[in-house]
Parts: sequence; structure tokens; C-alpha cells
Amino acid sequence: MNYSALLSFFSPAIVLSRTVVLTALWTTAGLLLFPILGSTQNATVSGSLRDRQNGESLIGATVQAPGLGKGNASNEYGFYSLSIPEGKDSVLLRFAYIGYQTQTLKVLPRGSIKLDIELVPVGSLLEEVVIEANGLDEKRKSTEMSVSTISTREVKALPALFGETDIIKILQLKPGITPGSEGTTGLFVRGGNNDQNLIVLDEAVVYNANHLFGFFSTFNSDAVKDLKVYKGGFPAQYGGRLSSVIDVRMKEGNSKKLSGTGGIGLISSRLTLEGPIQKDKSSFIVSGRRTYADIITEQVNRANEGKPDYNKIPRYYFYDLNTKVNFTLSPKDRLYLSGYFGRDVFLYKDPTFDFRFDWGNATGSARWNHVFGPKLFSNTTFTYSDYRYKIENQLQGFSFSLSSNVKDANTKVDFYWQPNNKHTVRFGGNITYHDFITARLKAGSDDGRVRFEAGRDYNGMEYGAYIADEWAIDRLKINYGLRLSMWQNNPAFYANIEPRVATNYEVNNRLSLKASYARMNQYVHLLASSGLSLPTDIWYPSTEGVKPEISDQVAIGASYLLGDQILVTWEAWYKWLQNSVDFKDGAELFGNNELEKELSIGRGYAYSPLELEIEKKEGRLTGWIGYTLAWVKRGDFPEIDNGAWFSPRHDTRHNVSVVALWDVHKWKKKGKDKSLQITATWVYSSGYVSWLPSGRFTFQDVPGAPFLTTVPYYGPRNTFRYPAYTRSDLGIVYKWKKRNRFENDLTLSVYNATDRRNPYFITIAVETEKTAFGEIPVEIKAKQVSLFPILPSLTWNFKF
Amino acid sequence: MNFKNLLPVAAVLFLMACNLTKDVEIDLPEYDRQPVVECYLEPGKPFRLLLSRSYAFFDKLGLDSTFLENTLLDGAMVTVTYNGQTDTLKNQLTADLSPVKIFNYVGQNLVPSTPGTEFVLNIRLADGGEITGATSMMPLVPIDSVVVEFSPDIDTLGRMLTYITDNQNQENFYRRLLNYSSLDSFPDQDFLVTDRFSQTALIAFGTGYELAEGDTVFNTIFHVTREYYDFVESVQLAVIGNLNPFAQPSPIKSNVHGSANPIGIFAPLVYDRDTTIVRK
Repeated sequence: MNYSALLSFFSPAIVLSRTVVLTALWTTAGLLLFPILGSTQNATVSGSLRDRQNGESLIGATVQAPGLGKGNASNEYGFYSLSIPEGKDSVLLRFAYIGYQTQTLKVLPRGSIKLDIELVPVGSLLEEVVIEANGLDEKRKSTEMSVSTISTREVKALPALFGETDIIKILQLKPGITPGSEGTTGLFVRGGNNDQNLIVLDEAVVYNANHLFGFFSTFNSDAVKDLKVYKGGFPAQYGGRLSSVIDVRMKEGNSKKLSGTGGIGLISSRLTLEGPIQKDKSSFIVSGRRTYADIITEQVNRANEGKPDYNKIPRYYFYDLNTKVNFTLSPKDRLYLSGYFGRDVFLYKDPTFDFRFDWGNATGSARWNHVFGPKLFSNTTFTYSDYRYKIENQLQGFSFSLSSNVKDANTKVDFYWQPNNKHTVRFGGNITYHDFITARLKAGSDDGRVRFEAGRDYNGMEYGAYIADEWAIDRLKINYGLRLSMWQNNPAFYANIEPRVATNYEVNNRLSLKASYARMNQYVHLLASSGLSLPTDIWYPSTEGVKPEISDQVAIGASYLLGDQILVTWEAWYKWLQNSVDFKDGAELFGNNELEKELSIGRGYAYSPLELEIEKKEGRLTGWIGYTLAWVKRGDFPEIDNGAWFSPRHDTRHNVSVVALWDVHKWKKKGKDKSLQITATWVYSSGYVSWLPSGRFTFQDVPGAPFLTTVPYYGPRNTFRYPAYTRSDLGIVYKWKKRNRFENDLTLSVYNATDRRNPYFITIAVETEKTAFGEIPVEIKAKQVSLFPILPSLTWNFKF
Repeated sequence: MNFKNLLPVAAVLFLMACNLTKDVEIDLPEYDRQPVVECYLEPGKPFRLLLSRSYAFFDKLGLDSTFLENTLLDGAMVTVTYNGQTDTLKNQLTADLSPVKIFNYVGQNLVPSTPGTEFVLNIRLADGGEITGATSMMPLVPIDSVVVEFSPDIDTLGRMLTYITDNQNQENFYRRLLNYSSLDSFPDQDFLVTDRFSQTALIAFGTGYELAEGDTVFNTIFHVTREYYDFVESVQLAVIGNLNPFAQPSPIKSNVHGSANPIGIFAPLVYDRDTTIVRK
């Protein structure tokens, strides 16, 4: 296939002058507005949709006028708007959301009607308040495609490694997403790289969403309300990364009463408190999590203090703190302030060696929702993000430190305008200031006689402006828009137009056909020395030498509603990547002021003819089955294998996941409500691709250096595929509650329940014999190293 | 190997200890054996070269009479040209005993020590394959001083600080080796360093507080070429890449080339070595 020809079809020269770009944007805005403003006037019902028990806004809840065949859904702030023809007769409105009692109301359709609705969660006291996104039929009817949502209910019930529930790891079970490596929170979405995911927490970018070298994510599921991932068909309001948008929303806090949740697990404990500051007007939530292995290791160290042969255990821990407050300032204004702070800390200190390595994120968001009227809603946001790591070593008279830091300050305004039921318009813009410190090295003696310094600072301005309209034309819905993105890092300046279009044609009340196209630009790049996420990976800006990365993705698909409860979704997609960044072989990342010389710029592509998901969200048995058949390639890097094309590590051909949650039984005994739930996941993946040596040689080296009997000789990249990966996990959740007391649950999680030895890494064992010339290798054996055997864990959770 | 690389290697060793490893059969791509050249030009010593062959990764070696024949590449014509003269190296197996180093090609002349002297290596293999390489002699960077200091907290443990003066007018590359007891021991420190980011002419190499009274320390600072620095670094990355799942492997960056598709290094061997017995 001639990829260059295909690519040029989709990507006419895109770097344009500012004048041309702005003219194009405003022309498009005019084209969008022309059909919208031509529509007729109606009565408008608008307001917010919330949970009656805790006041949390409901995202994606539906409001429908069944008699008129009209409907809409609440946005990410719980705001909705529905236009209906003015008339003298009352119109029945139905408000619905999965897991909540449907509420109906009659309204007289005249003028502007404000209705703030609170829905009541269904079921007994023991049921989780189910906060999920669109119902399956709404999902089928939506122009959104390539979208997955994860509910906190699924996250908390599904089995997890060491019992640490993790929303990112549940996301990895969705089709089109692979983790890149066992046990980690890596996200390789539709063949993209791990740095090509825009992860936002309350709209603030999280640069490194990992703890413990990627084994746990930074998201404490007690504090998270909702997660939505876009794998393609990106709405115009999002930009800045090539392969996915992962939008994580924190809970707002219970505005009705003081409540709390918490848990004690194998490696960490959690506590969350939330409640009203002023009932129904303002609320807060504070949530914390900390690991405690270090408390045990410190006791072990203390017990062995002074023993001559004892090697002290280094201290390691991580923690997270999420906070949020929100205030209803007036019926039309609401203010949210939220923040996240998390750190990993690795310490070793004794009289002869003092070492500290810490890394983490801090984010802050201030958001102001304003309702201009029944048809226009705005959200103005200020966010701040900071990711940094620092390695410090003190040794009497000498010190060493290595650090990197990326900081963003962002201002964003988004408008949501629904002039009538045929159009929903979104427009807005953002300005982001980026500040980068890359691999700052300082070493030397305290007296200044010896001094090493390296590292460079960069900054950049990123601008975005967008407009998009969702237009409903009978059975056809089309969401078309345009995003203009710009980047300035003197003297480099780039401006790019990113067209976005997504359509849905509803063939009948069960089948919808969908298609989408999206172009994305990425102006910051993660320089990772391996396919895995490490805290020492460096974020690097676009410069004159490192152009913005570009992706183009087309997708087609179909959604079929099987019965009332099962949605079958098929998608096929193709993604092109330009200006991909990789390291030259043997590149030096640290202590290097000329990092660009270590980079190689190339291209990539990925495609799948079959990405299938079968979902069931209601009933006693829920879950999903996912399957992806995909190919991923990178190439045209002049300094890597002379530009040859190769498979990246995450080019796994087949990926299957089966996720099931079964509410086995609910009963009452001795005044206690009890329930039992069994959960299970099963994953299969073709083996990861790896770069293994093809030859070996002996290197005797210079006097005093070690005689290396087996130096691997690496030929072409990534020619070996590991054996397939399969894992089964099981979970049992037993809940009980005495009336007016704490709700408790014991969650047994069994990771890798069949104790299968999956390949994590293949290493080489050398058998040698002693000769007159030293140790000579006589046989080389490949050894497969597995990471996790069967790992049961028990967590106690409580809620009040 | 630095601290950053030690942690994952330790983790792999831990997993092995937990019985999380098993032997597997894997198929690797076809591999054609390549000549391997190691030629270090040590001032005052004869031109010496080890010419051997690489193996396919899983090839077994029999330690019988065919071992040397199978490993060493004999019958080649090897010459080193410098200052207008050519030394032809004789195909003859020789060895240094301490530390043990073997060579299968030895010249007649002694390597000159004049910095900047240019050397050209030419090898014609028995099968007609050709190998060439070029390098030039480096100036010696002497060790200025070696200081032993004892810990103020644990007075039985000492550290060693080794100072050199760097020429800041040019980029220099160094290799540091620290051996305890003997030069045949596995080095306690072995790393490459460039002066690119040194803000001072004085450069210090240190140890932790780990030396006891009576320890013998062999302290070597090599002043090396950029090509040697790249070659050894690529060798170290290739070795680490095979042990550490977080590390990106590296192809070998050789400075010998030719139709024989060789691997190897042709470089001067200029170093200063201090031997200290730790005293209070």
C-alpha cells in the first residue's frame, strides 16, 4: 500500500499562516451558524439533573418528550436544554438515567421553563449509586463513536492487582486499548504511543498518571465520579494529543449530608469525606490514599539496626490527595475549585549514603459554570498542572541532583448553545502556557571546586479555538466542526487546522451506522527511553527541529441494539501518524543539552478492520466482551534501521477481554441487609513484540575491565513476538449493613487466578566452563521471566 | 552500570528467585557470523590485536580441539600504518597473564605515545573480506591526587577521591575503572564520562564510604576517543538491554568497517593508574 499517497490525500499542507488560518476558522463559523440561525422559535425547557441522595450532577442523563419524539442529554455539568414547539396543551417530559427511577412531569410549552430535576437512585440501601454514562440506546443514537465510559461501580467491584482498584486498568479492558506491559497503567490506544493520551482531571492535564513505575494510576476511585475515553472521532473541544482523550471527573461532594467512604487494603488505605458546606448550595470532598509498606520496612530496619551483615531496606511510599469544593453562587452560576496532589517517594539514608527520588503531579482547576439562558451555557476554566521528578544524592562534601519539570497554566472558555432541537453548538478556545525544565543535572563539591551542570529550559504557548455543531436531520445526525491549534516556541511557530466530523445514520430503532474523521496535533512529546512509562521520561516541546506530531483517523462502524439490554458495536479504523518522535539507537537522555540530536523523526500507521464490543449495562449480569484485530507499524526514521518499518512493542494482533459482574443474591438476616456479587475478567492478547539479539560476541576489553563472554548483538528492531498472554481474575464482593450504621464490604480479589506464568520479559542465561582463557560460554538459554503469580488480596471498605 | 539500571536488574533477579522463570525455546532470525576486532594501541607496547568471530545467539560451543579454530579468525593479513610506516602483525597466539588478555595478531614495533599520531588498520581475511579502521593517539591525563577520607560517623569506613585536571578547550571523554584487590577482579566502578557539562577544570571521581583499612584499590582513568566512548557505551547498553525490561537495547557502534561487516574497536589505550593501600 502506498501510504504516502493515502496520507497526502488526507493531509494537504497544513502549516499555514496565521491570516489564512483565522480566515478559514471564521468562514467555517459562518457556514455553521447560517443553517442554525435559520431555524424556528420554540419553547425551551432547561435546567440541571442531579442525584437526590448526594446532589451530584448526572452526566448524560436523558430528557425526552415522548409524544413529540424529541429528546436530549445532559452535558458534563449536568446541564440540559430541550426545545419543544409552543402550544396550549401540556407536554409530558421524561427524565431518565441508568440506575435511577425515571421521573415524568407535564409542562405547558410556553417561553422558557427552568426545571432542576433530582433523580432517585433505585434499589435497596446496599446498591451502589450507579453513575454511568448514556444508556445503551442513547449511545447507539449518538454521533459519538469510538467512545468508552467506565463507571465507579465497575471499578470498585472488578478484581484488581493487590486489591488496588484502578480506573485506568479497567479502561485497558476496552477494545482498542492495550496496556503495553503486564500490571501497568500504560495506555496504547488504537496503535498510538503512551504519551499520545490527553489525560485530564477536572480539565487539568495529568502528565504522568502513574505511581510505582506505572503499576498503579494516580486516580483514587473513591474521588472519581466518571471517566470517558475517546479513541477516535474526537469532538472539536479536545486537542493536543494524537490518540485518545481520557476525561476524568472528580466527584463534587455530597451537598445533602456528611458522608464518608474508606478502605483498608493490602498495600494502601483510603479515606474520603464529603458533605455540604451549606446544604444544597455548596459542598466539599477530601479524599486521600497512602501506601504503608514503608511503615513495615522501617520497623524491620529498626529491629535489625546495628547488625553487621544487615542491608537496610530502602523506604518507598506513594500518596494522593484530592480535594474539591463547589458553590452555587446564584441560580445561574456555579463555581468549582478542585485540586490533586500526589507523590511517590523512594528514600535510602544511612551514615554513608543519602539518596532520595521523588516524583508526582499537582493539578488545580477553577471552573465557573454560567447559564446565560435556557439555550446558552458556558464554562470558564483556569487550570494548573505540574509534573516533576527529582533525584538527589548527598555524600559528605558532594551532592548530585537530576530533575525535570513540566508546568502548564491554562485558560479555557467553552460555550454550549442549543438554539433548537436540531442543533447543538459548542465553541470556545484556550490558551496554555507551558514551561519545561528538561533533565537538569547538578553535581559537584560543596566548596565549588568541582561542578557539573546540564539541562535546558523551554517554554511555549499553545492556542486552541474551535466551533462544532451537531445537526439532526431526520434519521441522520452529523457533528461537524473545526479546531484551530497553534504553537509558539520562539522562533518556532506552527498553526494547524483540525477538521472533525462524525455522523450517525439511524437505519431503524435498533441499528445505527456511524463514521468519523478527526485530525489531531500534538505539540509536546514524551522522550521515553523504553516502551514503558518511567518517572524519568522527559516531556519536550515542539521546536524548529521537532515538528508537531499529527494524526489522522477515519473510522466507520455500526451499533445494533440486541433486545433491550445488549448493545453490539463494530468499528473499523485507520490511523496515520506523521512526525513521530523516537530515539536514535543508543541515545543519551540524561546530561544532554542537545536532546534533539538524539531524536529521529518518522511516521506510523495502525489499522483495524474489526473492533467489536458487546455491552450489557442493566440486569443482574452486566459487563462486556471486547475483541480487536489490529496492525501497528512505525518507520521512516532515518537513524533507525535505515528507515525500515517495524512493529512497536504494542503491536498485538488479537486482543480479547471478557468482563462480567454478577449480582448473585441479596438478602436480609438478623436486621442486616446483605448482598453477594461475583466478578470476573478474562483477557487474551497476542504476544508483545520485542527486540532480541540475533548474535553474540566475546569482548575481552581493556586491562581491569570485566571480560564479557556474551555481548548481545542486536540486529533489526522488534523481530520477535512473545508467547500469547492470558489472564483470569476473580472477585467476590460481600456487603452488609445494619440499619443506620456503616455499610461494609469485604472484597476478595484474585489476580491471575489460574496462576499462569505469562511472559513479562525474556532474558538470557549463559552456562560457562572454566578454561585457560577464562570462563567460556558453552550454552545459551532463553528464560522467560513472569511478573505476577496468583495474587489473592482482601480489602475492607466502609461507607457512612 | 549506574544506580538507575541496578534497580530493574535486582528486580529481575528477585523474580528469578521467586521461581517466576522458565526455560523457553525461541526462534531468532537467521544470523551470519561476523568478524570481531579488538585492537588497543598502548604506548610502549607492541601492536596487538584479537580477531575473533561472533556466533548466532544460541550457538553451542564445544570446548574441544575445534574451539579455538571455531572462535579465532586466523590466516588474515593485518597491518597498522602510522607515521609513514607499516607494521605487519603476525598471526601468533599470545597472552598477558595478569590481567589475562589474549591476542592472536602481534606486531614488531612498539606503539608510539605522541598525541595526535594517526593510525590506520587494514585487515584482509582469508576469505577475502576486508576490514579498515582509523584512530589517533590521545594525550595522557594524569591523576592529580588521590585522597582517602574516613567517615565522621563510622570511623572504620573510608572513601577515596580521585582528582584530574581536564583540558576545557576541547571535549574529552574518560573511562573510570576501580578495582579492589586485583585488576582481575570485577570492577567496583566502571563508567564512561564526558567533560561536556563540567564547569570547572577539576574533575573528581569518588567512592562511597566503603573502604576499610588495608584495602588495595586500583584506580584507573582512561582518556579515550569519542569512538571508543560510543563503542563501550553501546556494549554496556546491549548487555543491560538483555537484563533490564525497562532499558532500550543498543546496536553496537563500531569504528571498524569494510566488506567483512565487522564488529569492533580500534582505539588508543592511554591511562593513568594509581594503586593505593588504604591507611588511616
